[in-house]
Amino acid sequence: MKIVGVAACITGVAHTYMAQEAIEQECKKRGIDCKVETQGGMGIENELEEEEVNAADAVILAVAIGIEGEDRFEEKEEEGRVLTMNPSEVIRNPEAAVDRVLALVG
Amino acid sequence: MSDSMKTIGADLLKAFNTGVSYMMPIVVVGGVFLALSLASGDATAGEGMVVTNPFLKNLGDIGMAGFAMMIPVLSGYIAYSLAGKPGLTPGFVTGYLASVPIGENHVQTGFLGAMLLGILSGYVARWLKKKKVSPTLMAIMPILVIPILATFTVSMIYIYLLVTPIGFFMQWLIGALSGLQGGSALLIGIIVGAMAAFDMGGPINKTATGFTLALMAEGIYGPNGAYRIAVAIPPLGLALSTFISRKKWEAADRNMGVSAAFMGLIGITEGAIPFAVKGLKTVLPSIIIGSAVGAGLGMLHGVECMVPHGGLIVLPAVNQAPFWYAVDMLIGTVVTAGCLHVLRPDIKQSEEQAACPAPSSQAG
Repeated sequence: MKIVGVAACITGVAHTYMAQEAIEQECKKRGIDCKVETQGGMGIENELEEEEVNAADAVILAVAIGIEGEDRFEEKEEEGRVLTMNPSEVIRNPEAAVDRVLALVG
Repeated sequence: MSDSMKTIGADLLKAFNTGVSYMMPIVVVGGVFLALSLASGDATAGEGMVVTNPFLKNLGDIGMAGFAMMIPVLSGYIAYSLAGKPGLTPGFVTGYLASVPIGENHVQTGFLGAMLLGILSGYVARWLKKKKVSPTLMAIMPILVIPILATFTVSMIYIYLLVTPIGFFMQWLIGALSGLQGGSALLIGIIVGAMAAFDMGGPINKTATGFTLALMAEGIYGPNGAYRIAVAIPPLGLALSTFISRKKWEAADRNMGVSAAFMGLIGITEGAIPFAVKGLKTVLPSIIIGSAVGAGLGMLHGVECMVPHGGLIVLPAVNQAPFWYAVDMLIGTVVTAGCLHVLRPDIKQSEEQAACPAPSSQAG
C-alpha cells in the first residue's frame, strides 16, 4: 500500500505542514508507505516524482487552494482514487482521513 | 442540479482562497512601505499627505507599486485555481483592467470587479482548454488561441456589459448626492460612510471620493471629514475583531489583523480587502454599518478635514472637532467589530461547512 498526497493551506505557514505531519504519522502508525508534498509559503517542498505518483494506490489532497501540478493526478482522479479534503479537517482527524483514502482503494 | 451547484460553490471558495493566498504578501508589502512613507508626511490642505524626504517618497512609490499589483494578482490566481496555467493571462490582464479607470466614464471596479473577472477568466479559459482540436491547432492553443480568445472575450463582457451600466449608475449617483447637499447632515454622513466601505476602491467608493472632493473645492469640508473617518474604519474594525473575537478567525487572519490595524491608522482602506474577499457576506455588512455610523456621527459633530486623505495620521489637518474625529472613528471601529462578532460563526462550524464535497466516489 502506498499513498501520496499534497498539503496546501491559504497562508502556507502552519496548516500546510501540520496536515503533512498528520497524514505521515497516521500512515506510519498503520505501516503504510506515504509521501506528502507541501505547497506552502515557500513554494513546493518534498516534491512528488512522477514515478511516485504512478506507483501510488491512492492520493490525498489536503488543500484549501488551487495547487500547482494538479494535472499529475488526473489519471488517478479518473480511477476514483483521489480524495480532496480541507487541511484543517485532516489535522483534526487524521484517522478518519486515512480511513477515507483507504476506502477508495477498496 | 444541487450537486453541480455544490461543486461550483466549492470551486469558487477554493478559487477565492487561492487568490487571497497569493495576494496577501503583496498587500503587506504595499501597506508597510506606504505606511512608512505616509507616516512621515505632512497633512497639507488640498493636497493630502505630502512626503518631502526623497528616500521616504521612493518608499511610498514601492508601496503604491505593491497596491497596483494586488488587484491583478487576486484575479489572476482566482482564474489559475479554476483553469490552471491558461487562466493566468486572462486573469492578470483583466484584473488590471479592473484596477484602472476604463471607458468613457472612467469606471474602476477594484477588488469586487477583480473577483468577478477572475471567475469569468477561469471558466472561459477552462472551457477553451477542454476543447478538442486538431493536432496542428493544438500546438498553438496554449500560447496563442487561449490567451487571446479568453482575454478578449472576458474584457469585452466586462467593458460593454458591466462597465458601461456602472458608468451610468455612477453618474446618477453623483446627481443624487448633489441633490442631498444642504439636506440632513446626518444622512449625508451615513451615505458617504456606507459608500466608502462598500467596495473599497471600486466605483461606489470612488463616487463618494469625487463627491467630497467637489465639495472641498467649494470650501465645504464637513463631508470630507466624515468620509476620512469612514475610510479608516474597515481595516481598524477588522483588526479589532481579530483581537477580541479570536474564535471567529483562523490563525492566518489573526496575524493579518496587526497589519490591518496599521493600515487603518494611516487611512488605507485596502487593508480590509483580504478579509472581505474571504467573507463577503459577514465582512461587507459589518464594515458598511461601522463606516456609516462613524461618518454619520462625524457630520453630527461638525468634523471638518482639510486634506483628501484619511485615518488618524491626518488629525493635525482636522481643523474642526479633531477630538470627535478620533472618537467617532473609534465608535465606528467598535461597531464594526461588534457586528462581526454577531455575524460570524465560530470558526469550527464554518470550517466544516466550507469543507470540500462530501465523501464522493467510493467507486474504487
